[in-house]
Amino acid sequence: MDDPSQRLLRRLLRRIPAGNLKTTLEKWGRLTAAQWRTIDFTQTKSSIVQMLAFCAENEFTMKHITELEMMYVIDNPNKGMWYAFQLIDPEADSQSLELTQFKEQFKSHLCELVRNVSVKIKKHTDEAVWIRIAWGDSYSRPNHLKPTYIVHHLQTPYVFVTGLSPKQRPLVSQALVLSSRYHAIKAANLSGRNLTAIRDLLMKQYQQVFPTRFPSPLSERNQSVSNPQIEREHAGHKENRLQMASETFGDGMLPQLQSSVYKLETKFRDRANQTMTEREEPFKCVVKFASTNLLESLKLCVSSGIASTPVTPLLSSIPLKGRNYFVITDNGPAPSSQMPLSQN
Amino acid sequence: MEGLSSKGVLSHLSVLAVQTKSRRNPPQQSTRVKELKAEAEALMMRREQLKAEIQTHKSLQRMRLSMDKGEEEMDEDSENSQLLQLMAKHSQLKDLLYAHHLIGGYDIIKTSLGKGVCVSVTTAYEGVYLDTYNLEIDLKPVLRITRHNVPPFIPLNELAEQNNIQTNIKAFLDVLSQHLNAHAGRKQQLKLVKERFPSVDVMESNVLCSILVLMFTVPRQKTAVLCTLNYSDHTRCLPTTVHIQCEGRTVSTDNQGPPSTVYNPRLCVMSMLSIRTLKHNKFKCPSFIY
Repeated sequence: MDDPSQRLLRRLLRRIPAGNLKTTLEKWGRLTAAQWRTIDFTQTKSSIVQMLAFCAENEFTMKHITELEMMYVIDNPNKGMWYAFQLIDPEADSQSLELTQFKEQFKSHLCELVRNVSVKIKKHTDEAVWIRIAWGDSYSRPNHLKPTYIVHHLQTPYVFVTGLSPKQRPLVSQALVLSSRYHAIKAANLSGRNLTAIRDLLMKQYQQVFPTRFPSPLSERNQSVSNPQIEREHAGHKENRLQMASETFGDGMLPQLQSSVYKLETKFRDRANQTMTEREEPFKCVVKFASTNLLESLKLCVSSGIASTPVTPLLSSIPLKGRNYFVITDNGPAPSSQMPLSQN
Repeated sequence: MEGLSSKGVLSHLSVLAVQTKSRRNPPQQSTRVKELKAEAEALMMRREQLKAEIQTHKSLQRMRLSMDKGEEEMDEDSENSQLLQLMAKHSQLKDLLYAHHLIGGYDIIKTSLGKGVCVSVTTAYEGVYLDTYNLEIDLKPVLRITRHNVPPFIPLNELAEQNNIQTNIKAFLDVLSQHLNAHAGRKQQLKLVKERFPSVDVMESNVLCSILVLMFTVPRQKTAVLCTLNYSDHTRCLPTTVHIQCEGRTVSTDNQGPPSTVYNPRLCVMSMLSIRTLKHNKFKCPSFIY
């Protein structure tokens, strides 16, 4: 076992929580039955030492270790910041793209652009294609300690990326556009730590509420009894607010977004503050809403009457357009061109 | 007298003629009166009839109103109440049918803000209702889909453009419904294959369920067979091409072929999904592989 793979393995084993270690290794299935019996999983430190020894004994290469890493990341994707991208302008045959074609083409397109790059592609059970890229340059071998992960569902225009530096972004974009048969790619202005959440939001996989002619289950679920007179007065308004909130944000488990950022580039307006109001140039500031579950919080604001109904487009755009980064100018919310894309 | 006669025989004659004429008239007049009376009677009868009709219509409408509100009201004193009720029911159904034709059979209601409508498209496969998809469409100034839960692999915007949603929303909804139903059907097929045939390995599939690679072993011969189903027509839940590979031998079939061929993709899928088809004399599963 060479040095880099040993380093990666050591780091990986430390990253995996002690409770998950056994199941993850079981899934990996690379250890022999005898080795498996000797590992003592109750002792974290000793089990790591044993694992390192066994992997060296089995002469595992980088391929095996990255396999283990990928398996762990796929099962635990909520460790870094995920950014959503959208492929635009599909070619006629983009709908009939096959996995094997995509795999081959992505690899070859990327390898044409960068010499030292290691690409591993694996399809998960939920039809998502996971791509792991370890980057190197003309003079250095691929650095497996800082890989980029890309999740793409074939036949859909969405791509989710984590661990991508601005330098590598054009390379990935080009390889993706070419291999998935589209003409361009753009930032979808949506990011979050929870991959499933941003995926569900864009793929419309969360429970949306639409107006129906049938008695709403919402009103039935939210019945509480106190003063019947006051209740009757309020019930109508309350139900209406709840319906609006649900139609805007959805129902059931909402996708867990952590934040929403509004970059304001509008003129300062305040009668009391003449100096600021008279300034010609826009007043730039950033407003950020943060919460453990932002959509849930906003929904509660609307249903409880803290935020007015109908819901302002600034808030309803988050689920409707599937984005959480907005640039607002005086002509209304403009599509932001510069998407902050940092490495986490 | 003489003078008179000499003076105007002709005038006298004319007077006589007038007299005879007037004598003949009275019977003529009486027939005319009779005619008029009969006519008046007929008109009166017609009036009574119309009055009765109006009455019936009014009670029908009353009944329709109470029926539309959902109340069941029996009009005891009217002897024809049952008939009336039937008629009311009939007219209600006719109205519903008309409305249904207008919207093209889709469940469509006004949104709460009143700016647009919400259309729901239901999907089903072999008599089982599957997912329901909704579209909120603003009507003014132009038709615009504002919100929907159609998955991203259904090209909603392209379909809207191709079918000219502004002028022909029904065509758009029909095509969309075809796409959604076909996808739901393919998904259900995949689910059924996994459920009913645990020995069949699904080697590959995708979110659109437009490609399906299955691996299974023929029971007695113990040979592995690789079956690739390709659904290139996304509006159908049957494959367009079936490709079967087995120990170096390949059978490939297109849906364009005559429908009676034993390699018919439809039969192929049906055979996998229903035991009934397997019993079909013309078609035996293992035999067509070779």
